[in-house]
Amino acid sequence: MRFFKRKNTKKSISAIPSQYQAVDPIQKDALKTSLQENIQTIKYTLGASTDIVFREIRIGKEGSINAGIIYTDGLTDTTSLQEFILETLMLDIKEVELQKKITTGENLISLLKDLALKVGEIKEVTTLELLYNGLLSGDTVLLIDGYAQGLLISNKQWVERGVTEPVAQTVVRGPREGFSENLRVNTALIRRKIKDPNLWMESKIIGTRTKTNIEIMYINGVANDKIVKELHLRLDRIEIDGILESGNIEELIEDDAYSPFPTIFNTERPDVVAAALLEGRIAILVDGTPFVLIVPALFVQFFQASEDYYQRADISSFIRLLRFGSFGISLLAPALFIAITTFHQTMLPPALLISLTAQREGVPFPAFFEALLMELTFEILREAGVRMPRSIGSAMSIVGAFVIGTAAVEAGVISAAMVIIVSITAIASFVSPTYDIAIAVRLLRFGFMGLAATFGLFGITVGLIALILHLCSIRSFGIPYMSPLAPFNISDQKDTFIRLPKWKMFTRPRLINQQNIVRQQDSTSAKPQPPKNEE
Amino acid sequence: MKRHMIVLLILSLFLTGCWDKRELNELAITVAMGIDKVEDEFQLTAQVVVPSEVSMKQSSGRSPVTLFQAKGETVYEALRKMTISSPRKIYPGHLRMLVIGEELAQEGIGESLELLSRDWELRSDFYVVVAKDKTAAEILNVSTPIESIPANKMFNTLKTSENSWSATKGITLDDLISDLISDGQNPVLSGIYITGNEESGSSKQNVESITPSAQILYDYLAVFNKDKLVGWLTERESIGYNYITNSIKTTVTSVSCPEKGKASIEVIQFKSDMKGKINKGEPEVDVNIQVEGNVGSVECHINLKEPVTIEELEKIYEKEVKESIDQTIETAQKQYKTDIFGFGQAIHRSNPKTWKKIKEQWDEKFTDMVVNVEVDLKLRRTGTVNKSFLKSLQE
Repeated sequence: MRFFKRKNTKKSISAIPSQYQAVDPIQKDALKTSLQENIQTIKYTLGASTDIVFREIRIGKEGSINAGIIYTDGLTDTTSLQEFILETLMLDIKEVELQKKITTGENLISLLKDLALKVGEIKEVTTLELLYNGLLSGDTVLLIDGYAQGLLISNKQWVERGVTEPVAQTVVRGPREGFSENLRVNTALIRRKIKDPNLWMESKIIGTRTKTNIEIMYINGVANDKIVKELHLRLDRIEIDGILESGNIEELIEDDAYSPFPTIFNTERPDVVAAALLEGRIAILVDGTPFVLIVPALFVQFFQASEDYYQRADISSFIRLLRFGSFGISLLAPALFIAITTFHQTMLPPALLISLTAQREGVPFPAFFEALLMELTFEILREAGVRMPRSIGSAMSIVGAFVIGTAAVEAGVISAAMVIIVSITAIASFVSPTYDIAIAVRLLRFGFMGLAATFGLFGITVGLIALILHLCSIRSFGIPYMSPLAPFNISDQKDTFIRLPKWKMFTRPRLINQQNIVRQQDSTSAKPQPPKNEE
Repeated sequence: MKRHMIVLLILSLFLTGCWDKRELNELAITVAMGIDKVEDEFQLTAQVVVPSEVSMKQSSGRSPVTLFQAKGETVYEALRKMTISSPRKIYPGHLRMLVIGEELAQEGIGESLELLSRDWELRSDFYVVVAKDKTAAEILNVSTPIESIPANKMFNTLKTSENSWSATKGITLDDLISDLISDGQNPVLSGIYITGNEESGSSKQNVESITPSAQILYDYLAVFNKDKLVGWLTERESIGYNYITNSIKTTVTSVSCPEKGKASIEVIQFKSDMKGKINKGEPEVDVNIQVEGNVGSVECHINLKEPVTIEELEKIYEKEVKESIDQTIETAQKQYKTDIFGFGQAIHRSNPKTWKKIKEQWDEKFTDMVVNVEVDLKLRRTGTVNKSFLKSLQE
């Protein structure tokens, strides 16, 4: 009974965090006029963290005004701090502004901001909360005695990984750049591809403690407004202390939390994001990760690689069909093998049956257990391969090949046919261009093996029906996951199982994009043609 | 509580699973079965594959198949009883051959086929043959070269000979049963027999020499009246039978040359048309055979460049084939008195009303009905030479 009661207790758990999430009252406080008091508060709040640098200076003609500069060491560009902030404050303005201040009675803070400081981005802050946000994301804080205001001077700079080739999604033909961990670099990479004034970005800060920057990116007028609105709603609903990777966001906003299938696409390739934006999808960029989320995501999208659109259409179509086939293999191959060899031997041609039987002679386990053993071994090897240091990778592949391949068969523990099946399954699962759909299948495969071992092909059929029902029932931001297959849309078939040449694709995907569906005008001139002979 | 129950119910489904699960190495793959009648009991012989001997890798030189035998009052009883000698349960799903002993065939094969047509495990695409002068068990006890599994050898031999020689006929269980139950048609089955020293046939040495001391081969068609074997057709008559029933794919027929010597005609296209009719109240059947052929070899002095020669050859062929067909019909009518050609069915198709009247006395009507056979050969090609080198050889 306890299992079912959990639903109720869950509600009370979700009620608790709001108390903790309430922002620390001190942070809400406004800045005081006294510089010393402000600095004391800041020091107290930050717990005397050693990477926060406090520098008290005196500015003005006679050095009569006390000012404080605070920055986070490592996140701030110290050269520009010296050249454009300290130098300005301590040398350049000595003469000018004091008189002005006396004569006009103007605010020294806005005076500095408007006239003196040679830095692009400067914000005035009045609350401690904003001050901390700026300070801890690398801004330099300038406080002046006598003013309950401060300046956030943006001169962030920190060490980061540059734009490198994507690791998880590689191509033979296509751009080699991949996203990096820096949000601004990432948005720039997309901007460079789409120079449209309608490419809009809306930013959010999520995570009460990590204060992670998030950008929502879409092409206004192409993207579906309802989806944009829905996305905002879902993102605003998040109340959590930290977002460390876009995967955190994905889990918190996805449509069907229990489905093994991903309803949000992710990529580390700017060209994929650009293509998605052009189709009317919406990108979510999260600071600190090269993986960008794309919504809405459809089932077929996970079988489309960016390279499909750069290669010739015929080979792309073939490869795409191959991927769908491989999906089927990686989902069903072991299950079908178990079902046919333990329940439906009649289906095998006699020569094959005899050959399979010969291999099974002396194998101590039932086919199901044998398959389970091999699949688990493979999963272990695979996981080990991902986690372990690169340098011992070759050692493991030798052991793996020996354990799985040769030794198990020679010892007569496993039949050779099973090794073939498991290997085919493994290779087929690597064919999918996106990792997400491949891992969705990993768990389902075991389910199908269980069904096959208990009910044979009947079980597999029932499992497949259930799977298809499930796939048809889930949605990604309101768009049916299986579209354009269910609901069927004839015009979107141009880019589903096959890809038609670019000159035949005139419209954007129908369901994602309700407005502005035309991509290419004038269907007659789109097809390339040799020049006509003029006499 | 309700959801709890549903989960329990779903889980209990899994408890029922697996009951008909069989691992591959729990099967005794039976490729051929023989049925004999021994002292009022059915004697069932199963030729079972020894998988490890068939696979190239693990073979240790023992026989690739083994025989299990059991007797029972019914075939099914005998089949189950076989487990007293077999370590695994007989799995007949991949049966290729069913061999029926001659003695049983003479007594009637109906009862013994009932199980095989009823059991779900059996595919009905296996061939049924009759062991000539032997019991089925003896036939299954011969080892064969090339195809290490004797059942496969029997299956493939029958298939190839049916396709390219046409004196045999591969009849599957389905065909046989449909022939048995239809009016105006009696079944035939290919006959299988052993030549040579059958004592040594079962040992591995049989296939170790270049010429096996015992060999299995097909010849003759077994003629049935209803489900009882009544006699055998000769090779020539067997081909005649296939001519009439349109079951020739290709074959080679030798004909006499206008003068002395022989020539052979290769049949490449064949169509035989059987039409029933009632002539003055009596049933009659027209058999119209259209053959296209090539001149296969010429072992006499004729000049193929002359169209006349070709025509002459065609005439001779037509005459000789018609003779052999007439001979076949006469054998069936006079000697065995059984309508194996399906003439009754032809009448049934053309004159259903009359058929209803004469159905009961069909056996008598058949024996003296008129059959008009017409053969028409068209020779198409004469091979790569016009003039046989034999002529130059003699000059």
